[in-house]
Amino acid sequence: MDIDDHEITIEELEMRYTTSVDKGLTSSFAREILERDGLNELKPPKGTPEYVKFARQLAGGLQCLMWVAAVICFIAFGIELGRGNLTSFDDLYLAIVLIAVVVVTGCFGYYQEFKSTNIIASFKNLVPQQALVIRDGQKNQINANELVVGDLVEIKGGDRVPADIRIITSQGCKVDNSSLTGESEPQTRSPECTHENPLETRNIAFFSTTCLEGVATGVIINTGDRTIIGRIASLASGVGNEKTPIAIEIEHFVDIIAGLAIFFGFTFFVVAMFIGYAFLEAMIFFMAIVVAYVPEGLLATVTVSFTSTITSVCSTSVICSDKTGTLTQNRMTVAHLWFDNHIHAADTTEDQSGQSFDQSSETWRSLARVAALCNRAIFKPDQEGIPIPKRIVVGDASETALLKFTELTVGNTMDYRNRFKKIVEVPFNSTNKFQLSIHELEDPLDLRYLLVMKGAPERILERCSTILVKGQELPLDEQWSESFQTAYMDLGGLGERVLGFCHLYLNEKEFPRGYHFETDDMNFPTSGLCFAGLISMIDPPRATVPDAVMKCRTAGIRVIMVTGDHPITAKAIAANVGIISEGSETVEDIAQRKRIPVEQVNKSEARACVISGGQLKDMSSDELDEALRNHPEMVFARTSPQQKLIIVESCQRLGSIVAVTGDGVNDSPALKKADIGVAMGIAGSDAAKNAADMILLDDNFASIVTGVEQGRLIFDNLKKSIAYTLTKNIPELTPYLVYITVSVPLPLGCITILFIELATDIFPSVSLAYEKAESDIMHLKPRNPRRDRLVNEALAVYSYFQIGAIQSFAGFTDYFTAMAQEGWFPLLCVGLRGQWEDVKLQDLQDSYGQEWTYSQRLYQEYTCYTVFFVSIEICQIADVLIRKTRRLSAFQQGFFRNRVLVSAIVFQLCLGSLNVNTLGYFLFRVQWWFVPVPYGILIFVYDEIRKLGVRRHPGSWWDQELYY
Amino acid sequence: MAKDGEKSDWKEFLWNPRTREFLGRTASSWGLIFLFYLIFYTCLAGMFALTMYVMLQTLDEHTPTWQDRLSTPGLVIRPRADDTFEIVYTIEDTESWDLYAQALDKFLQPYNDSLQAQKNHECAPDKYFIQEDSGEVKNNPKRSCQFNRTVLQNCSGIDDRYYGYREGQPCIIIKLNRVIGLLPGKDNQAPYVTCAAKKYRVGKDQWKDDADKIGELIYFPPNGTINPMYFPYYGKKAQVNYSQPLVAVKFLNITHNEDVNIECKINAENIPVGGERDKFAGRVSFKLRINSKN
Repeated sequence: MDIDDHEITIEELEMRYTTSVDKGLTSSFAREILERDGLNELKPPKGTPEYVKFARQLAGGLQCLMWVAAVICFIAFGIELGRGNLTSFDDLYLAIVLIAVVVVTGCFGYYQEFKSTNIIASFKNLVPQQALVIRDGQKNQINANELVVGDLVEIKGGDRVPADIRIITSQGCKVDNSSLTGESEPQTRSPECTHENPLETRNIAFFSTTCLEGVATGVIINTGDRTIIGRIASLASGVGNEKTPIAIEIEHFVDIIAGLAIFFGFTFFVVAMFIGYAFLEAMIFFMAIVVAYVPEGLLATVTVSFTSTITSVCSTSVICSDKTGTLTQNRMTVAHLWFDNHIHAADTTEDQSGQSFDQSSETWRSLARVAALCNRAIFKPDQEGIPIPKRIVVGDASETALLKFTELTVGNTMDYRNRFKKIVEVPFNSTNKFQLSIHELEDPLDLRYLLVMKGAPERILERCSTILVKGQELPLDEQWSESFQTAYMDLGGLGERVLGFCHLYLNEKEFPRGYHFETDDMNFPTSGLCFAGLISMIDPPRATVPDAVMKCRTAGIRVIMVTGDHPITAKAIAANVGIISEGSETVEDIAQRKRIPVEQVNKSEARACVISGGQLKDMSSDELDEALRNHPEMVFARTSPQQKLIIVESCQRLGSIVAVTGDGVNDSPALKKADIGVAMGIAGSDAAKNAADMILLDDNFASIVTGVEQGRLIFDNLKKSIAYTLTKNIPELTPYLVYITVSVPLPLGCITILFIELATDIFPSVSLAYEKAESDIMHLKPRNPRRDRLVNEALAVYSYFQIGAIQSFAGFTDYFTAMAQEGWFPLLCVGLRGQWEDVKLQDLQDSYGQEWTYSQRLYQEYTCYTVFFVSIEICQIADVLIRKTRRLSAFQQGFFRNRVLVSAIVFQLCLGSLNVNTLGYFLFRVQWWFVPVPYGILIFVYDEIRKLGVRRHPGSWWDQELYY
Repeated sequence: MAKDGEKSDWKEFLWNPRTREFLGRTASSWGLIFLFYLIFYTCLAGMFALTMYVMLQTLDEHTPTWQDRLSTPGLVIRPRADDTFEIVYTIEDTESWDLYAQALDKFLQPYNDSLQAQKNHECAPDKYFIQEDSGEVKNNPKRSCQFNRTVLQNCSGIDDRYYGYREGQPCIIIKLNRVIGLLPGKDNQAPYVTCAAKKYRVGKDQWKDDADKIGELIYFPPNGTINPMYFPYYGKKAQVNYSQPLVAVKFLNITHNEDVNIECKINAENIPVGGERDKFAGRVSFKLRINSKN
């Protein structure tokens, strides 16, 4: 951020922008600047036009192949039509179906892309509509997009900040920066510069953030795309949208398929030309081979049932998680108390199911009274039915925590406060670092006033001369001071925010009823008080998180915490949830233990490492890589959201697949850069959600882990589904190859192939998505994206050359049976093609001497298609049964547990019979269903043998070659 | 750099001298894989051969398992020239019709009376020539009935060597496709062939025929009858010398210099009319055009 507008004086600012902090710009000058800089709005990035995006969807590898096939079909149809010897419209239908397939899958793809690219649209919604501007010394309401640099504007509670503004005057102005940083706590805006970082300083209000309360005036220092949010928007659209790992896998697979299809097609084109077929015929062969080999239904199946974003997370090896809200409950809660020289633990669980501490001590009663009285937070009304931890409170985070705490332990706090009537109070401010109030006592006969005070522990201690122990006021000597320090250090070391509490009964003679307490001059004692105790608060981790982190560990996933919090808090929470495991030490810990300087510690001894944003700033990317490599347990504290991007990139350089959580607008570059961006569903801004691949509905870290688990299951199932789909391409392809080389009558037509691809086999391949996991998938390491591909060699080879081969033999057995039973013996079929397809030959003799007309032969050919189709269906049923498991026996997995799969098989059979009976051109015989059954059984038995070998001899040759 | 890396990757994939791997496998690994697939495919081919063998065993030597595709036998015409269904010639141009005459000569060669008498049996006419097998004992080979060329009289090519083509009165010979076991005609009522002008479409819902151009026809044998004694057919294995019965049609005064579309069909009670889709089942259509210069 190269902004110094917050550091210069107001005079310099006036000079720089030729403006005046009283009168603003002159209208004419403002017009000039407007002409120079353009409107104050975010320009949508120069995106690709929609039709180009759509066209791109229609021009993928497979799609191009199918276009070529369709064009060949049209040409063939046209030539046949031109010659006037049209025998069927098959070519035309085929072309139409192919185009339909391409267009429909294209639409799916376009829709998917469309969903992920409207990021800038949500930035647009952030632009304010109207603004109050002072020009020529006069206040005007103008459209916010006409504001220019140097304009003097006024904002008030409820407004959206119209541009980046240097604050000139402010009255209690607070802004909500959550759309920018994701932090939801209101932040004060005042004229003084408090930090060199423009994002942290108080005297700049940012474009698109909301002013919550108060009034402020300021000079515009940046407009439109030059504002911070504008830069982030352009940064987010500048960061290439990293494809999700699953998309990369599918692309890889499609490329291979397309390549192989062209290779096969071209080889047989050449072979056909060589054998002596005409050019057009050879082209038709090429087309048919492409149609047979390309799994047309696969793209649709995958898009519909598997590319849910959950699939993307399966290969995650690093999760960069936010702390607040994701790992923690996002609410301050009282965690510990110190009184009577003991640290007591409070119940921090979300549902108050934990153990409470001993509340019998007299000191506790006093401490609770101070905590209840010296507190300005109140519950919003009408929340009686809601459990206390979930009630909405008006007040800051620690007061809220204390209010809820007293409500839970003491009971009705509101009523309690009414009994101790408040006379006067001094609110907390940063110079005093304490808050006090003076109350009447509950007992109307006791006329003393009670002064209660809370604040930073060391400041409170300074003001105390006695300490309450077991109800007794004891002098605060050195010994007590020391034990106080120990307790304070202990609690601080837990990353907790510690507050001290004390009270004093004011003498009724000195301060009789009606005494006028002056808060400004403090005409009452503020020292010599009686110390009651310490209460410490923390945003506690969610109950499910430690288990989830543990699960990540067993699953080989590294969890890195990236937070804006203080390093100590971050480290404490990290240790609490197991990101830093028990016994792991940081370099600093080791140094402390061994009592040696930090520099002398061997860095490799430290498993854990906490790096703050300040340190990160000074590190080179190599050093960061080094740190990430050396320390398995990493916590990044005090990081700005921009640094998240750096961390993500570093993890990716180390070869990890990174999932990142984020909620603020400025997380969107990191979310986009990450392999899997995870946005928070509740706390997340729209821009973050748009940049993300996945949205966590409950903002809970544990859900990511559940997601990983499901993703891994779906990845496994996708593998099975693809294996299933690929297998049948071989029995679809071999008929053509045999047809071309051996010249038998065509056993399987293109239309039938498409019917298999797009109708009967779709449902079973989808149903494999519902298969249960074979083993505990969360005990495996994440897959290595470079080695463990979705479609690996073993899968393809096993599907193509073994199961696919068996299926082809089944098809040919059934084909030759059907031919022979009608009078065409296998040996006669060989070389018959020329005569068989001769339209003019009306008396071709079969093996028995009978004579067939062309149409009679054609119907016989259609019967063959149907027979081959039926064989593929029978074998595919065996195939879907074996694909249920890759390692376990199908008997171990159970045949009927996946109900969807069972109904898919039934559906497939019904659709198959329907096809046979309606499109089968009459005369299909039931027994032809049974001819391929032995091959189906062979497939099943063979695969059981394969799995048995894989289970019995892990690591053996068999396992390596045949496990996919 | 990246390109170089890719290139060397490829090279290494092709042949890795360090591990002695070719395409990612060592020689022994390739050997094992080949052995595996050899065994695998041998077994598979064995199973295929076995199923094919079993299947072939179930087939009958003389009758196909199914014949329902052939319920309506096809009809074909001779002469057949240039693979088209058009007979077009000019009377004055000898060469234009000579090939038809030659084709018919060749086609009728096996029907020569001498050959028929030599090979075939003289059957009792007007009834099916049924040669039953007596149970398991096959009555093979089966005899076939004589179909003498002379039956075709004017179209036999014996008296008129040019089958009437020279006079512009061409003969067309029609044959019924062979189908095993087919018994056309019921109650010994002989099937017969008729030819007529073919209806053809000239526009939407407009049909036309050339009935006025077709002129007088004469059939040989008379009325285009096919004698039932030529049925049933027992297949080429059992009935080696089977002579298919023929019918000849002679066009006596067809209009010259114009296309005439003709359709011939078989008439027999038990032969179903072929469906719309098959234009050659139980019928045959062709175009006749005789050009004449006067």
